[in-house]
Amino acid sequence: MSRGRDGGWRPEGSAGTLERWAAILGGTALGFAGARRGSWALAALGGGLFLAGAAGVPLSSPLRRAALPALRREPTTTQATTQANVTVAVPAEKLFRHWRNVRHLAALFPHLDAVEILSDTESRWKAHGPGGVPVVWNSRIDKVRENELITWHTLEGADLPHRGIVLFRPAPGGRGTEVSLTLAYHPPGGAGGDDVSRLFGVAPEQQAREALRCLKRLMEVGELPTIDGQPSGRGESRSRTQEVTG
Amino acid sequence: MRALCWNGVNDLRVERVPDPTILGPQDAIIKVGLSSVCGSDLHLIGGHVPTMRAGDIIGHEFLGEVVEKGPEVTRLNRGDRVITVSIIGCGKCWHCEHEEFSLCDNSNPQPAFEEAAYGHCTAGIFGYSHAFGGYAEYIRVPFADTNCFRVPEGVTDEQAVFVSDAVPTGYMAADMGSIKPGDVVAVWGCGGVGQMAMKSAFLMGAERVIGIDRVPDRLRAAQMKAGAETLDYSRVDVYDALLAMTGGRGPDVCIDAVGMEADSGAPSIKGLAIEDLYDRGKQVLRLESDRPAVLRQMIQCCRKGGTLSIVGVYGGLIDKFPMGAAMNKALTFRMGQQHGQRYVKRLFEHIEKGELDPAYLLTHKWVLDDAPQGYRMFKEKADDCMRVVFAP
Repeated sequence: MSRGRDGGWRPEGSAGTLERWAAILGGTALGFAGARRGSWALAALGGGLFLAGAAGVPLSSPLRRAALPALRREPTTTQATTQANVTVAVPAEKLFRHWRNVRHLAALFPHLDAVEILSDTESRWKAHGPGGVPVVWNSRIDKVRENELITWHTLEGADLPHRGIVLFRPAPGGRGTEVSLTLAYHPPGGAGGDDVSRLFGVAPEQQAREALRCLKRLMEVGELPTIDGQPSGRGESRSRTQEVTG
Repeated sequence: MRALCWNGVNDLRVERVPDPTILGPQDAIIKVGLSSVCGSDLHLIGGHVPTMRAGDIIGHEFLGEVVEKGPEVTRLNRGDRVITVSIIGCGKCWHCEHEEFSLCDNSNPQPAFEEAAYGHCTAGIFGYSHAFGGYAEYIRVPFADTNCFRVPEGVTDEQAVFVSDAVPTGYMAADMGSIKPGDVVAVWGCGGVGQMAMKSAFLMGAERVIGIDRVPDRLRAAQMKAGAETLDYSRVDVYDALLAMTGGRGPDVCIDAVGMEADSGAPSIKGLAIEDLYDRGKQVLRLESDRPAVLRQMIQCCRKGGTLSIVGVYGGLIDKFPMGAAMNKALTFRMGQQHGQRYVKRLFEHIEKGELDPAYLLTHKWVLDDAPQGYRMFKEKADDCMRVVFAP
C-alpha cells in the first residue's frame, strides 16, 4: 500500500490522479514535439506516456524504486539470524543484572506472558501468538560472563527453537553501555525466522530491535512513552505503530 | 474538550474529543491558554508529510496552566503558567544530557517509521504526524519536568507563547551560524521564525542582517520590527543583490527559515519559473518530496567558507543539490529541529530585559472555533497575517 496525496490509502498497483494527468499532459507535449521535429522515437514515447496516463498505469513507483534504492532501509540480517544493537546510558553492571533476572525479560517482548524460573540456569517461557495460541519453550543459560555476556539455547521440544546471546560492552566517551542482542532461529522442526513472523506477526529483526528499545527506555527514563489513550478526532483513542508503517 | 483536527489535505475541523488523561508518571496535563499556528503545520495540512492520519490533532506551540501532574513530576505545581517546548525531550538520554533535545532517543513512541526512512529515530513532536510520535497538543505533556517551563512574572502570555517554538527555532538558527561581530547574515523567509532569527542574529553581534521574502507586509515587518534590510525575491535576483550588498563576498551566514515548499523566483516563462516547475513536477510524480530552491540559492550566495544554518523543515529527498559548489567553497552545514529546552531560560531573560519582544508576531487573536479559517488566512498570508493565536 502507499499513501495518496489525499492522505488515504490506495493499492500500490494503480496511479494517482495527479500522476495520470502528469503522464497525459507530458505525453501529449512530447508527442507534438516529436511530430514537429520529425522524431518518431520521441513521438512514440509521448504517445506511450499518454496511453499509460489514460489507462492509469503506475509510472512513478517503479521509477522511484529504481532511481532511489536508498529511500527506505531494508533489513540486512538473514531470516535465520538477527541482531539488534543499542547504546544505553547506564553502566553495564546494571544492565547485566537486569537481564540476568530473566523474569524482567517478559516486559521487553510484548507477546511474552510469563517467564518462570526453574533453576539457576533453566527457565520456562510462555508466550502467545495471534488468537492467543500458546507458544511455550524451556531455555537453558550456557555461558555467563559477569557484566559482559549471557548466552542461552532452548531445550528439546520447544515450540520456537532458538539460541541467543546478549553482549554488554562499555561505550566510548562515557556514553554508557553498548548492548548487542543476537537471536538464531534454527530448524529442525522450524522454518527459522519465518516462525517468529508466523507466531508473533513481527519480523525477527524488528522484534529484537523493539526489545532493546524497551530495555533502553526502561533503564534511562523508567517508562515507555506512549500515545495509547490520548484523545484524537477519530472517535476512538487507539493507535499502534503498524498502522502508520504497514 | 474541543480540538483542531486534521481530516485530510486542507481539511481542518474543530471537533469535540475526549479530555486527555495522565498516561505516564512523568506526564502533566496543561490547560491551553493560547496556541499559535506555525509554518511547519502547513506542510502537514497540505499533505506533504506522509504519516498524518485523519483525526490527528494539530498544533504544537502553546502556553497554558498546569492542572494535573503525574507522581514523578517534581519541578511543576498545579496552577503554574507554563510554555511547553514543541519538541519533546526525555531529559535522560545522551542527547538530552548534551542539550540536543530534538534528537532525543526516547520520546518518540512510534520510532519504526523514522528508523526505516532516516536510519535513526529522533524526538517526538507535538501534533506533528505519526513519524514524530503523533502527539496531540491538547494537552498532555510527557516528561513534563524537562519540557514545561514556568513563565516569569515580567513576561506576558502573548510574548511567552512563541517561546514554545518560533523564538527558540529562530534563536537556534542564529546560534548554529556561530555569528561573530561584523558578520553579515542573510535569512531566507521573513515569517515568525525568520524574523526571530534576524533579531537573534543582532543579539549575537551580527552587523547587518538581510531578510528575503516576497510578501510585502512580511518584508515590511522584517524591516520595521526586526531591523533587517530586505530583498523581494520576486523582483530582484537574490544572488546579484546579496553580492552587491556584501562587496562581492556573499553573506557570512545563510539561514533557511523556509524549508521544503520553497519557490525560487528563478527566470520564468509567462510567470512560471522553470526551476519551480521542475521541482513541482518531480514532487507530483513523487520522485522528490521536498523543493530545495532555498538550499540551492544559499549555496550559491554564501561566502566561501561560510555557514549554512537550516531550520526550515525538510521531510524526505531533494534533487539537483549543488554538492560541488558546497564542497569546493568549503561551506559548513548546520541544521536541525530546535533544541528549545537549551534556550528557554536565556530567551525569557532577553524578553525581560526588553532585548527581544516576540509579541508583535501575533497579528490575529481568534477563538479556537475559528481555527480552520485562521489557518487558511495564515496559509494564504492574507490580511497581513504573521501568526494567528487561538484562545479556547
